[in-house]
Amino acid sequence: MRSVAKSLWLLLFAVILVCGIYPGVLWVIGQTLWPFQANGSIVNGPDGKPVGSLLVAQPFTKDEYFQPRPSAASYDGTASSSSALAVSNYALRDRVARAIGPIATYAAGPNKSKPVAPDVEAWFQADKFGGKPGIVAQWADAHNSLAQGWVTADATHGVYVDAWSKAHPDIVAQFVKDNPATPKPAASDLAVVFFEHYSKDHPGTFPGPVTHKDKAGKDVTEIAPVKTGSDIQSIFFDMWRQDHPSVALNDVPGDMVTTSGSGLDPHITVENAEFQLDRVAGKWAQDLKRNPEKVRQEIEAMIQSDAFSPGGGLFGEPIVNVLQLNLELRNRYGSPT
Amino acid sequence: MWTLPILLLVVTILLSIPLSRYFAIVMEGSLKVPGFLRWFERRLDSGPQDWKQYTVSLLIFNAMLFIFGFIVLCLQPIAPLNPLGRGILAPSTIFNTVISFMTNTNLQHYSGDQHLSNFSQIFFILPNMFLSASVGFCALTAIIRLFRGERLIGNYFVDMWRVAVYIYLPAALIIGVIFMHEGMPMTYDTQQTVTTLEPGSMGTDDHGQAKPQNIIVGPVAAVIPIKMLGTNGGGFYGMNSAHPLENPTAVSNFVTTFAMMIFPFTLVLMYGRMLQRVRHSVVIYTVMLTMMVGLIAWAVYWDTLSPNPAFTGTAQARDYQIGDASSPGGKHAIAVPAVGSLPVDQHLGNLEGKELRFGTSAGAVFAAITTDVTCGAVNAEHDSLNPIASISPFIGMWLNCVFGGKGVGMINLLLFLIVGVFLAGQMVGRSPEYLGRKVGAREMKLAMIALLVHPIMILGPAGLYAATDWGVKAESNPGAHGFSQIVYQYSSASANNGSAFDGLGVTYGFNNNPSPSPEAVPLDIGTGLVMLFSRYLPIIAPIAMAFYLGRKKMAPVSLGTMRDDTATFGFLLLGTIVIIGALLFLPVAALGPLAEHLGPIPFGG
Repeated sequence: MRSVAKSLWLLLFAVILVCGIYPGVLWVIGQTLWPFQANGSIVNGPDGKPVGSLLVAQPFTKDEYFQPRPSAASYDGTASSSSALAVSNYALRDRVARAIGPIATYAAGPNKSKPVAPDVEAWFQADKFGGKPGIVAQWADAHNSLAQGWVTADATHGVYVDAWSKAHPDIVAQFVKDNPATPKPAASDLAVVFFEHYSKDHPGTFPGPVTHKDKAGKDVTEIAPVKTGSDIQSIFFDMWRQDHPSVALNDVPGDMVTTSGSGLDPHITVENAEFQLDRVAGKWAQDLKRNPEKVRQEIEAMIQSDAFSPGGGLFGEPIVNVLQLNLELRNRYGSPT
Repeated sequence: MWTLPILLLVVTILLSIPLSRYFAIVMEGSLKVPGFLRWFERRLDSGPQDWKQYTVSLLIFNAMLFIFGFIVLCLQPIAPLNPLGRGILAPSTIFNTVISFMTNTNLQHYSGDQHLSNFSQIFFILPNMFLSASVGFCALTAIIRLFRGERLIGNYFVDMWRVAVYIYLPAALIIGVIFMHEGMPMTYDTQQTVTTLEPGSMGTDDHGQAKPQNIIVGPVAAVIPIKMLGTNGGGFYGMNSAHPLENPTAVSNFVTTFAMMIFPFTLVLMYGRMLQRVRHSVVIYTVMLTMMVGLIAWAVYWDTLSPNPAFTGTAQARDYQIGDASSPGGKHAIAVPAVGSLPVDQHLGNLEGKELRFGTSAGAVFAAITTDVTCGAVNAEHDSLNPIASISPFIGMWLNCVFGGKGVGMINLLLFLIVGVFLAGQMVGRSPEYLGRKVGAREMKLAMIALLVHPIMILGPAGLYAATDWGVKAESNPGAHGFSQIVYQYSSASANNGSAFDGLGVTYGFNNNPSPSPEAVPLDIGTGLVMLFSRYLPIIAPIAMAFYLGRKKMAPVSLGTMRDDTATFGFLLLGTIVIIGALLFLPVAALGPLAEHLGPIPFGG
């Protein structure tokens, strides 16, 4: 019993000291000496309103801005997260291949520095992978979970597959016969079967969003077979690569296609910033109607003055804070159109 | 590249020498403290205790800590400092979390930024971190006093007070100030809301309004110093020391890493000082250091200096013939096709799950050290480490004595040491001795009990969960890596480490969560029980062993005495650890990370 009493005393003392006094002392020091850091390193935009924390990545979609590393947390500052994808998990390779597809360029040959994407589309339309016809069917067979993922990725995808399964009751009946465990298959259950038949019915195409005007003149987006576009460039880039393994391509910076540990990494490598420089400078020059070369030089100077190396260069290569850089762009050139 | 680990080791070694003197003074009770602090000591003192009373006090106090923690976590919905109105966690998660923080493990089956209020961070996390870190420290002190042949070994509560207040508290204050300077938040607020620089880039809500970015803040700079110094490892944020507000710069990362190493390093030297066998402790220190250098170098070589094999290609197609009775001809052919590489510049190594601001090798270095000293904080995603590099954190947890946690790491090493002198004694045909005292059957039994708890608690449950839905349905990655995830979870639980392969579905979340991870409850309970057994058995049994050894007569040193302060002894110790560790864990390493490394990448669809 004596031990119980002493335990309670110890707990009481500990609570007073480490829950009350200790954080209180740190709070006073932090809020007086470094209020900026102590409240989350929040910076203000041109209108004086807070636009973000210098330490937390936020998304940028416009071409006028540098983009941060991809985020497994969707840049949600309340729910940090990594991808937790193992090296051997195909989902990791797939995610990176999709990111590279639309921006990959040739490193040698007659098309040097030209984008690969048109050739991926041409190869896709020819509809032969590994010498066998039916790229989409082979894709769905090899990567069932990706096929299912496509069906659930967007509501319109599910609607499209549902419409297809209504139109083909015989195929659905056959599926149920083969898979007695799923007597009432949902759209995602049918994904692989759907793509196998789709590939036969619409060779050289992929179901993608097509926007047209309805009778009232409103824009309507529907799913229909398409021959080109970002879906094909990204989803099928890895398969194109397997058919063309020895073609020399320019490397993209590693940090541009990998997610960080927290999903909120506020930095990119200077290499990555230089990689994006052409796009960013070109777009600003277009917006401002100025000489592209001049704008490029100005932004290049911004990157160089913002760049720093971890531990003063002892521990790593130069990096740059994305929000800080974009804030400078915004302050200098105004709001992107 | 190598500057970071070298600088870390040098700074830690240099500072551990003077600090060990201070620790010894504190634990001998000869530190001169102001009168009002003496008053607290007198208030806590229940008189000199023998080993049984000391151990019972330790257990009773931990039981009280359990009850306290349970109550505080249950109070979250009605307590103050909860502007976001966070509810109560699932009961199994509370059970797991309370044990996890009481046992210094800090395995987190929840996310601090999503599930805890600042009230819980301050009144649950902080006292647990200070107190659980002091428990192992006290246990080691008790063992030292028993080895010295003392019957009465001081008072548990006074020891706890001294460790927590004279050692941890001042150190945490100093480190906390550095962290705030580097950019760590220190506020009682919960959230900052900002409109993004590009309006609408976070998406739009149902009314077409641009969504703001919400950023969780709080008393981070109070939690993190003791999280590292106490080798607790439970992050304020879900992604722990990878989170930019929990580890804002390369400097804070250096200090963070240093803070988790310094006390385990120092305790080994304190052991030597208090036994007046400094040379002996230097031999132990060197053995541990050798293992740590090896494990850091392994991780850096395979993860920072090697690319992520997910993006590199394999030029050659491979064919394997596997014996299979059900296949025609008794052989089953497996074809692994050639894989074309993706054009990714990987000169910075495997960047998936790494942060950029710490430096190139920081993720790999941290992964090795955090598991060696059983801290369990992470500054990179261990799930995404190159599989062969992940063997380094696995080994750190399996051996559990590469400096290890405060006190308990040194205690674990003593177990290997006792086995080592026993083996050596058998080889030369002398009865084994340690510290001049004969190691008898009873001491060996107690040492073996403590030593075997660890592998049994890893391999048993990992096997069970890998064979049933409890584990299989929680895996997030295919093939050998899914198995690695389960083994890692139990290794981490049993080593009282707390790091994880985060993909494993262990999070139930709030009690009213409509769609929790399907196997969160069995994993909560399974790892909770493992943490409990693997914490207290390896503390109680060695204290008993030290008592039985310490009461024996000192044999005079003779020509035939095996000296314990020589390089030979160091090699004996290292050999014992490596052989026993390899015998216990090599098979499971072959099934997990090695299989993933050698197998086809990518694996399956």
